[in-house]
Amino acid sequence: MLAALVMPAMSQEVEVTSQRRLLDGVESPAYYPVLNATGDRLLYLTEAGALKCYDLTDNVTQVISHDYVAGHDACWGGDGKVYYVTQQADENHLVYRTGHCYDLATRQSIQVTEPQHGAVRAVSATRGGALKAPGRGYASSADIGSAAWTEQNRVHVTVGGEERVFSPVDCWAGYLWASLSPDGQRVAFFAAGKGIVVIDLRGQILAMLGNYEMPCWYNNDYLVAQNAKDDGHQFTSSQIVLLKADGTWQSELTRPVSMTMQPTCGGGKIVYTTIDGLLYEIRINIYE
Amino acid sequence: MKKNLLQSAMMVLLAALTVNVASAQQPHVYINPGHGGYDSDDRNMVIYPFTQGDSAGSWESKSNLRKGLALREILQNKGYKTSISRVTNTTADDLALSTIVALCNQSGADVFYSIHSNATGTSSVANFPMVFYRGYTGSPQIANADVLAADLEPYLYASTNTVWTSNYQIWGDWSFRPEWGTQGYGVLRGNYAVANLSEGSFHDYIPEAYRLLSFYYCWMEGWNISLGADKYFGRLDQFDKGVVTGNVRDDRIKRLQECAQPFIVYGDDNLMPIHSATVRLLDGSGNEVQRCVTDTLRNGIYVFKYVEPGDYTVEVSEPSHFTQTAAVTVRANEPTYQNFYLKRVRDTPPVVVDYSPVWNEGDPAVKCSEQVALTFNWDMDSVTTCDAFTLDPPVEGTFRWEDSYYRLIFTPTDAFDVNTLYTLTLKRSAEHGGGTPMDEDFVMRFYTQHRNHLEELAVFPYEGAPVHYKTPTVELRVDSMLNTYNLFQRLRVLDNAGNELAWNKRSIKYNKKGDDYGYIRVPLVSNIVPGQDYTLILDVDIADTAGIHLPAERVIPFKGVDAGADKPGMEVIDGFESADGYNCSNNTITASSERLFGSKSMQVAYALASGMDGYQATVTAPGYLESLSHQYASGDTLGIHVWGDMSMNNLYAILWADDEACEKQVALGKIDYHGWRYVEVPVGELPEGDFRFAGFRIDGGEDPMCESGTIRFDNLLKKASSGINEARLANMQVRVAGDYIVVSADTWVQGVELIDVNGRAIKSAGGNCLNVADVEHGVYLVRVHINGRTATHKVAI
Repeated sequence: MLAALVMPAMSQEVEVTSQRRLLDGVESPAYYPVLNATGDRLLYLTEAGALKCYDLTDNVTQVISHDYVAGHDACWGGDGKVYYVTQQADENHLVYRTGHCYDLATRQSIQVTEPQHGAVRAVSATRGGALKAPGRGYASSADIGSAAWTEQNRVHVTVGGEERVFSPVDCWAGYLWASLSPDGQRVAFFAAGKGIVVIDLRGQILAMLGNYEMPCWYNNDYLVAQNAKDDGHQFTSSQIVLLKADGTWQSELTRPVSMTMQPTCGGGKIVYTTIDGLLYEIRINIYE
Repeated sequence: MKKNLLQSAMMVLLAALTVNVASAQQPHVYINPGHGGYDSDDRNMVIYPFTQGDSAGSWESKSNLRKGLALREILQNKGYKTSISRVTNTTADDLALSTIVALCNQSGADVFYSIHSNATGTSSVANFPMVFYRGYTGSPQIANADVLAADLEPYLYASTNTVWTSNYQIWGDWSFRPEWGTQGYGVLRGNYAVANLSEGSFHDYIPEAYRLLSFYYCWMEGWNISLGADKYFGRLDQFDKGVVTGNVRDDRIKRLQECAQPFIVYGDDNLMPIHSATVRLLDGSGNEVQRCVTDTLRNGIYVFKYVEPGDYTVEVSEPSHFTQTAAVTVRANEPTYQNFYLKRVRDTPPVVVDYSPVWNEGDPAVKCSEQVALTFNWDMDSVTTCDAFTLDPPVEGTFRWEDSYYRLIFTPTDAFDVNTLYTLTLKRSAEHGGGTPMDEDFVMRFYTQHRNHLEELAVFPYEGAPVHYKTPTVELRVDSMLNTYNLFQRLRVLDNAGNELAWNKRSIKYNKKGDDYGYIRVPLVSNIVPGQDYTLILDVDIADTAGIHLPAERVIPFKGVDAGADKPGMEVIDGFESADGYNCSNNTITASSERLFGSKSMQVAYALASGMDGYQATVTAPGYLESLSHQYASGDTLGIHVWGDMSMNNLYAILWADDEACEKQVALGKIDYHGWRYVEVPVGELPEGDFRFAGFRIDGGEDPMCESGTIRFDNLLKKASSGINEARLANMQVRVAGDYIVVSADTWVQGVELIDVNGRAIKSAGGNCLNVADVEHGVYLVRVHINGRTATHKVAI
């Protein structure tokens, strides 16, 4: 069954060396996985609507939030903390979103932004985390390091305390899924209708990697992304692809039928979830 | 459970909020016009005059976008913040579902509408609005998604611009699509705005496909979705403009069926939408406030947008119709629906402009099945026109209107009488749709032909026919070419429980041009049961190509039999395992695997030859049948299994005596059947001589119905008459005693003949002894005459 999901043995340049089911018999279904940079901790959303953290080293899970929305766009800060958003509605059905920071060491969550109407989003930074909000936001420290995020058809890049805003490709619908390379020198993001774009810190386009979604840096030279197809109503197939950041090479890591969603990378691991909420970890060898 | 969790959290938050800032905030609506581009997944409905793939035609992607752009405009006018996933209709706009979800989440929208139209995807047709949210019905994954849906649907369903076939439906996508598990609709999965997917109507309901071509109609769906948003956000009182909209149709002219296939229409969609009608909104002083013109895309929709509340008059004008007005009241943030049914301008009295049949004195007579058609210059009023219609002599019949009341068809219930002069009068009281009567009566006459019903020439099974059980074939023959359209449906075979048996439609044979008569021949797909009763029903509406039908329904009982059943007391004379030696002039005789016994039957493909005795074909048996065992005597019974071809020719067995000098034809009946049949007949009194089976004769008489055909024979049988059976005849014994053949019997032996292998009588004597001293050694037949009967016996001398 598991073997059917990943591509067989080895292609010419990449080999799937291992695969394993995570949280088998413990937590299922689980969606929206997010690995930390070292690949030893994993955020995910449970069926019951809780944001949880799974420690891959000691096999322990802990609940971060019972808010259903919290698990959708949570992220790891460079400080090891979890930044996430919850939402609630008022009597007129306006949705208010609140930023939170969770410390795994103390198992305490603190509210870091007031409830605000509109988009409140957690942003990962190399030395901490931030909450971007319409009103007053939040930064874990004065110097959170480097970070990248998108807003409408703009990509924001913070380097050394300086925020730069780029719109390198025309895109009506907007940009999504900004991801900073491990060396902090490049940003990959998705432009709706155009695909994955890799830019440098000055906003110069380095590569267009094709119409894949959810780019995530595997290392400084490769990204993992999702290739999903649908019929306008439901997904018909999806798979994980490995993309060379310079746009010169790509390879499938899973079969299209495996319906892989939301790939995430960290510490040389790739984790994804199936359409029915099974978490898998795969490791690969890339032959240059 | 999640809903409860979220609701609990909401309550906590509400308590925590120190200031209710809702009224100061703009609701943010994310709009997703479903699909994108003109590709295979963009739902192209092919409707006249557009062809497959024509971007000017009906595309769900296009109408979704129009609705979405309208909704964006309306919401912005109402003070909402909006985001939209596309503003053009190209393939590049057709974003992946997960991308749309992420864009919505990133936007921070309060609610999300994915705008679609629906399709049954089947031959059934429906039209009603549906809306979906993520989760099970009644238990949404995101709190209030069910409320958003419930707030929306009544506004969509309130539209009288369309024709709904049933009430609206609201579903959780997991309940609606249980086969997808919890995958659900892609734009709802992972979407944490309060999200709905709306299927506003069914675009495979053809009148709806035309409406969805209308910018006005799409705009109104956007308006109605905005009302759903207003209701949801408690903002119904925060917009001070209303709209007036409706549908302009003719009051009685029917919608044209212009698509390649006839399409279903419901309710007012039966009426013709009016193209290019000018619709004006007039204020209380008669001043024009707004004006719009219905398009030419077969929908008749108009709309006045953003109208100040108040009382107005809507005026609709179109040159071929009378101008119509209606008073309407516009209320803030409400739609006012006002449909119009325009009356055509019919400025002259109605007259008959064409009619049929056209007949004048001296013309050929009219078929008795002819329909009478009257075509008018205007669409007519049905009641007054039908009341004004008389025929003399009177004929029962039915009326039917065509071409939107422009053509009246009268069809006689049965048929017109033969050789009759009819006079049709349409009295001047007939009115057109506008109520004006004709100026004068219309009168026409026609004379009918001598034939008014289809004549049945033959049918099998006929009444009481024994029918061999194996997939019997039914055939009807009539005196003219049958109309074969769905003809097989007008013949039915019922078993004794009233169950209809299925036809083997792949094997149906119909008459074709040039045939001598009309026919349908069709086998049943399954066997029937020997011993059971069946009924063949021929519907009265079986008709020829001229529409002449049967005089009445025919109900024909028949019985299933097994033609191959045992025949006790019968002796097999020939099993026809081989056709060798049989001859039939130039016709083909073969051994056939279509048999009743053994492995073969004898098949004769014949063509009757014209001769002194009419059309005949004679099958002659080979010489080896001249043995005594093939002899028949007076009083014997002959049995034969015949596979009939319903040629209606007569079949005979031929018995010859004295080297053909004497022939006896034994009638085996008319071949008025299909399939196997066992025929058993007494050979009757035979003249003097040794009669042996010598073959068959097919006799078509002077005017055969079928001059050619195929017939098969299996197992020829014989049963000797009582007391007469070869050597058993009167305890007859034949023995060779020295130079004599001596016959002994219980009765008087009249004479003895010696027959050689060629059937020639070479010696005879009166009494019971025959001197054979001078006869060569060999095998002979002895023919013994006893009490006026004849018996044969094989002897070796």
